[in-house]
Amino acid sequence: MNKFIKILLATITSSFLSFSAFAGGHYTGPDLSGQKVVMFGPWLSPEQEIMREVGAIFEKATGATFEYGGSDSFEQQVMIDLKAGSAADLVVFPQPGLAANAAAMGGLVPLGDDIEQMVLDNYAAGQSWIDLSTYADENGKDQFNAIFFRTNVKSLVWYSPDNFEDNGYEVPSTMEDLIALSDQMVADGNTPWCIGLGSGAATGWPATDWMEDIMLRTHTPDVYDMWVSNEMPFNDPRVLEAMDVFGSFALNDDYVNGGSKAVATTDFRDAPNGLFTSPAECMMHRQASFIPAFFPEGVEAGVDYDFFYFPAFSTKDLGTPVLGAGTLVGATNDNPATLEFIRFLMHPEPHEYWMAKGGFLTPHKGVDGSKYASDTFRKLGEILTGATTFRFDASDLMPGAIGAGSFWTGMVDYTNGKSAKEVADGIQASWDAIK
Amino acid sequence: MSLLNLSFIVLLGILIFVSYFHFSNSFLDSYNRKSNGRFKFENSIRVVIFILPAFIVLFIFILYPVFETVRLSFYDKFGREFVGLYNYKWAIDDPEFRRSILNNLGWLLIVPTFSTFFGLVIANLADRIWWGSIAKSIIFMPMAISFVGAGVIWKFVYEYRGPENTQIGLLNAVIVSFGYEPQAWLTIPIWNNVFLMAIMIWIQTGLALVIFSAALRSIPKEMIEASRIDGASELKIFFSIIVPYLEQTILVIWTLITIIVLRIFDIIFAMTNGEWQTGVLANLMYDWMFRGGGDSGRGSVLAIVIMLGVIPILLWNLYKHKQEQNI
Repeated sequence: MNKFIKILLATITSSFLSFSAFAGGHYTGPDLSGQKVVMFGPWLSPEQEIMREVGAIFEKATGATFEYGGSDSFEQQVMIDLKAGSAADLVVFPQPGLAANAAAMGGLVPLGDDIEQMVLDNYAAGQSWIDLSTYADENGKDQFNAIFFRTNVKSLVWYSPDNFEDNGYEVPSTMEDLIALSDQMVADGNTPWCIGLGSGAATGWPATDWMEDIMLRTHTPDVYDMWVSNEMPFNDPRVLEAMDVFGSFALNDDYVNGGSKAVATTDFRDAPNGLFTSPAECMMHRQASFIPAFFPEGVEAGVDYDFFYFPAFSTKDLGTPVLGAGTLVGATNDNPATLEFIRFLMHPEPHEYWMAKGGFLTPHKGVDGSKYASDTFRKLGEILTGATTFRFDASDLMPGAIGAGSFWTGMVDYTNGKSAKEVADGIQASWDAIK
Repeated sequence: MSLLNLSFIVLLGILIFVSYFHFSNSFLDSYNRKSNGRFKFENSIRVVIFILPAFIVLFIFILYPVFETVRLSFYDKFGREFVGLYNYKWAIDDPEFRRSILNNLGWLLIVPTFSTFFGLVIANLADRIWWGSIAKSIIFMPMAISFVGAGVIWKFVYEYRGPENTQIGLLNAVIVSFGYEPQAWLTIPIWNNVFLMAIMIWIQTGLALVIFSAALRSIPKEMIEASRIDGASELKIFFSIIVPYLEQTILVIWTLITIIVLRIFDIIFAMTNGEWQTGVLANLMYDWMFRGGGDSGRGSVLAIVIMLGVIPILLWNLYKHKQEQNI
């Protein structure tokens, strides 16, 4: 699992550097009039509107109809649908671990060699993406089950340049500086952070991202990999150390907007709004590259908001690690229209369409980089090129019952006052229980 | 188009069932006539004909799932390999399972008791004031809201913002105006259970109220007047005449609400999703069955525990029902 993650860095990076000269042109597909493709995923408004618009391109080109439905209890709902045999044609998984669960119960069809070849040809370091989306089916046989569509970078801190300028703050380049800046903000009477973990039935996941980013900044990548595979138990002192670093942010009433009590009760979609209130409720917000989709209407990238790299400790010799993730699209049947939609998603056009809407990154080599919504998103490339370590979201790779279960609830309990040891013991116990 | 299809299917279904009853019944009649009454099982066969469709539906949707759940509880998470009592052993050792049972018991004790109590008291008081019926209809209104809808409404009541921000939650806005610190109500263990129960009480009081209002009318006016003439205080009348007179009604409402509370899931799912130690068995079952890939073995064990918990109350209810019929 180690090698492809390293390649992953190269992939996304190269997609930023080598915007291919040729634009993708328009997608043309076979005539699928009268057929219907239904997609189910975790995206709600505003992303679901964009997905529907992407689907409209497909409708226009093929004559088929496309429907998208989303749920913020997706993780449970998709399992119910698969078990009941009533799943949508296409399923958007927010996590490889969950897709692997779906494949293990025989819920996904193999996508076939031609789509695999398309990923290989079109995605930078295609093999690494294929490895991440190849799962054992119900008979234990490895199958290529899903394609990545829409990737993101998580190690970002969002802020308002105006607020920084007014207060004379500078973007920190080390973790020590970031902590000093946070203290400075408190001393000035400002609140440094907005943190929100609420997400319906998925409540808690933003805290797992914090944990992962901190793990990469306090320990070597090997430790991170051992943590993901549970070779190192979850209640190892090194994990507890990372959790305490998270606690030094989230459990510090002076640091967090609304105090530590507000952390778990605030919805992650509402949390960044504090950046844009007047006076600002908070100065910084650590969240992945997709978060501008939830910013208040009318705010402009590069003007009203910007981001910087969630820095590493200068005293620890761990370079500049970057955390990322992505959503996968899998098929539950091999209807021609269903598989054609996946082929359509491998065409540059849907990528470019969403890029222009913002909050979308792609490893696709064929896209026209000038289509990105703004320079702000192009700047993400610099963060990736500057990375010495790239790792995929740990909770997404852990088994579903942990990465989409006890890890989430554990982090909620932690922000509500449970000790790190107690939380980690509980998560390890639930991991032992599924072995 | 789809509406047309649907109505066609509905009509077809009705037609099939009507013809099934009609033709099987007339077939039995004609056979009976031919055999000149020598056919002895006529009545028992007619019973079978009429019961069969209902029985098939019951079998598919109730009996079969019960047996399948029992079977799955002895298998691994994919329902493929036999693991014996492993899943049951896991449940007994699981601290969350024990907490869920305690939470369930709390719901079963507190919600029916308070709903019945408030219903009875309000029904009694509302009869004495001119705006009583307006008050009653307002209190009855929450009955029309689904549990999830109520959850969304109460989420705003309990909403928490930091002390330095403007409170948008009703409860926090009230206590802040009295000079207290705002609280994240839903995250305070044990008490958050009570805050969730309050929603259910808010809904069910209306039900109790309406039934009690009707039952109060059945108390003979003369009896109350006579006791007043004898000098009984209003409290004495309430406890010595009204409560004993309504004993049967109180019991019925209490069991009715208990049965509604046994199914409690939606309020907790919508409000906290079982976080902060508010989960009940149904939430735990849902989580194990479907969260993160799911585990049908453990989910089934929890389903069986819920079923075993419900059965005694249902049996008692049936027993009461039979008793009433005999009177």
